[in-house]
Amino acid sequence: MADAIFTVRDLVKSFGGLRAVDGATFEVARGSITALIGPNGAGKTTLFNLATGFIKPDRGAIELEGHSVFGRAPHTVARRGMGRTFQITKALAAMTVLDNMMLAAPDQPAERLIGLATHAFTWRRQERAIRERAMELLERFRLASLANAYAGTLSGGQRKLLEFARLLMTRPRLVLLDEPLAGVNPVLGQQILAHVHELRTEQGITFLFIEHDMEVVMNNADSVIVMAFGKVIASGLPSEVRRDQRVIDAYLGAHAEDVA
Amino acid sequence: MVGATAIVVVVLIATKGYQPAAQATANGLVSGTYFALGAVGLALVFGVLRLVNFAHGDFLTFGAYSALLANAFFNLPIIVATAIAVAATAVLAAILELAVWRPMRARRAGGLQLLLIAIGLAFVIRNGIQIAAGTEPRTLHVDITSAVSFLGGIRLAGIDTGRVIIATWLVAGALAGLAGVLVAAAVGVLTPQFGFQLLLSLFAATILGGIGNAYGALAGGLLLGLAQEWSTLFIDPRWKLAVGFAILILTLLIRPNGLLGRPALK
Amino acid sequence: MIPHLISIAPFGHLDFWLGVGIVAGIYAIFTLGLQLNVGFTGIVNLGQAGFMAIGAYAMAILIVNYGWSPWLALPVATLVAMLAGVIVGMPAVRLRGDYLAIATIAAAEIVQSTAQNAINLTGGNNGLLGFDAAWQTIQIWALGLLATIGLGQMDQIPLFALTWITFGALLVILFTLQHTPWGRVLRAIREDEDAAEALGKNAYAYKIQSLALAAAIGAIAGYLLALNITLIYPGTYSADFTFIGFAILVLGGLGSYSGVALGSILLWFVLEGARFIDLPLSADKVAALRLLIVGLVLVFIMALRPQGILGKREEMVLRG
Repeated sequence: MADAIFTVRDLVKSFGGLRAVDGATFEVARGSITALIGPNGAGKTTLFNLATGFIKPDRGAIELEGHSVFGRAPHTVARRGMGRTFQITKALAAMTVLDNMMLAAPDQPAERLIGLATHAFTWRRQERAIRERAMELLERFRLASLANAYAGTLSGGQRKLLEFARLLMTRPRLVLLDEPLAGVNPVLGQQILAHVHELRTEQGITFLFIEHDMEVVMNNADSVIVMAFGKVIASGLPSEVRRDQRVIDAYLGAHAEDVA
Repeated sequence: MVGATAIVVVVLIATKGYQPAAQATANGLVSGTYFALGAVGLALVFGVLRLVNFAHGDFLTFGAYSALLANAFFNLPIIVATAIAVAATAVLAAILELAVWRPMRARRAGGLQLLLIAIGLAFVIRNGIQIAAGTEPRTLHVDITSAVSFLGGIRLAGIDTGRVIIATWLVAGALAGLAGVLVAAAVGVLTPQFGFQLLLSLFAATILGGIGNAYGALAGGLLLGLAQEWSTLFIDPRWKLAVGFAILILTLLIRPNGLLGRPALK
Repeated sequence: MIPHLISIAPFGHLDFWLGVGIVAGIYAIFTLGLQLNVGFTGIVNLGQAGFMAIGAYAMAILIVNYGWSPWLALPVATLVAMLAGVIVGMPAVRLRGDYLAIATIAAAEIVQSTAQNAINLTGGNNGLLGFDAAWQTIQIWALGLLATIGLGQMDQIPLFALTWITFGALLVILFTLQHTPWGRVLRAIREDEDAAEALGKNAYAYKIQSLALAAAIGAIAGYLLALNITLIYPGTYSADFTFIGFAILVLGGLGSYSGVALGSILLWFVLEGARFIDLPLSADKVAALRLLIVGLVLVFIMALRPQGILGKREEMVLRG
């Protein structure tokens, strides 16, 4: 691939006797919107967890922007520019929406004790700048009126948006979305997808998302990666992949009618 | 593991002489037995309920003092007193399950709540005993050749989780009561704090064996007892407890799963 | 302190209550550290008494054995306690919640065991004396000042004042820290460590910092305790001390620093107020009764009102 922002090669992870990821290999093109699909139990979320450092891989290679992130801690991976959302939204419920957002801003010296000392007089200024940026993002996602509400009081859909907006505060280059439309009403789902496209166009952010709805994939993804039984069995354009016999076979018994 | 133990014994005999080595080993097996009995109870409760019972050490105290009450106050023979200790502690455990743990589970109490409740119950039990019995050391006259029967392999085939849980507490309590009597017999004197003082050693044994694994706890208890007593051949006996803590820390550092157990790292 | 019959005016015994106030203040400071760890970071530090012991012993050893000035010994001893916090934290903080609790209590037991057995260094069970010469001098000066307003007889006042002023200072520092970006990260970690990590925050490092700060706070409580009883010996720094701290913590409410003061004053008021009730029990049984009350506080608060008096319901995230 010409410009791959993210590559995985021969990645393996076993839990006890079970090979959750069994030699997965694929690339994600920079600036693309790529879908990761596959039947349940194919290893998609495990792959996300391995890529973002939440699970330690057994062997293989994981590279972001050409540098290895194999076995790195989640916070390191996040700082390198790979952000993610979670299948079950992790809005920090006991903190306000605004706090959630401001937390996510990178490069805050005042987050370190030493930094508080050295920047004793300037950190509040930085806080104001961060707050402005946070409010801008909240405006974009139409959550600004909820800035001072506890995140725990938000609806499911609002929390999804918050998690997304919060993630964008970290200025990611690659965003991994774990089933971004799960449990969300269609209108909100369309809004989320619209944001994805806008952000890709405006800022060149690459998106890799796990999705089960084939129509969404067909309509939104530039490229599709198909996983089954811990391996990548096919990848390419959505139109190619849907006709691939291996993919049809993998889905047989699950969603054959979706792919055909 | 048995092989390694045998090798260690041989080395000890060679370096320290037969008498001291044999004595230390015998002592180690005795303390190892009550560590094991206590640890198995801990492991059973953790395995079924994911609860680290900080009150378990005080179950041992309760058992020992129940036996004391039966034997010294009511003049019952020691075997009967032991049986009473076992039954009383089992009943205590079951009562706590019904009065405290079950309602807390129904309210979906979190781990911190349960931990602090266990600590609180521990306080109540050992200080209750202290109020009832006073702090002066007591002796329990136990004929060591009395049979110590051990409940091996409990088959929990029930689907009724309530009954499984009660059974677990009964067994854990019974074992703790028995262990308490053993401690009284082996150590010679009882004070209300002794069970709590043993608690860390029981944790060490359980974690060494692999928390949640009853057989592991058994092995862990015996190994811990032996290790502590053997250490007295080399260093001053007053560091014996510290050896136990060191083993606990080392296990947590190097192999938190213990010899046979479930993952301890997040 | 002799037990009285239920007295109509127990509050007439001001000197007695000042003494209680000192103990309550020491425990309040101690529990501030627990609040930082448990209420604001989500780590169960059952070894706080061990850090208190390390601070107190380090201070006394430097002053008595090595002849250091207290003005140097105090900060250095505090650093030693913080270092202990880091050393204990580095392995312990990686462990699951209940294992972390066990590891910290084991560390504290090792400290207590060492204090008892390393006789050449710590004086064993006899303890260490004579570290408080500087404080005695200050106290005499303070009592002299008080004498000018007719309070020269109330010799508990200087330590009472020192204790609560220290508490106040620490309260302000901790409160301020909570409202910084550092505090924000800490709160996020307490609530959902994975979410914080996914946002680039190194949870491990923050937890160790939290533990080190709590150790420093514990050390400060240790110094005041040492001044109060003028002796440093192992029995003081027991697991029971930490457990009483936890009772205060949950009584005042998780997530509330000011609740710590309330909890401590309330608990000690109850525990010491019991002296005014004539009970047909010997002294050690009365001591047991007090600890039994502490146990009941722990059980009932956690069972019936887990947020305590001042804790906030929506801030209650109890981890397992």
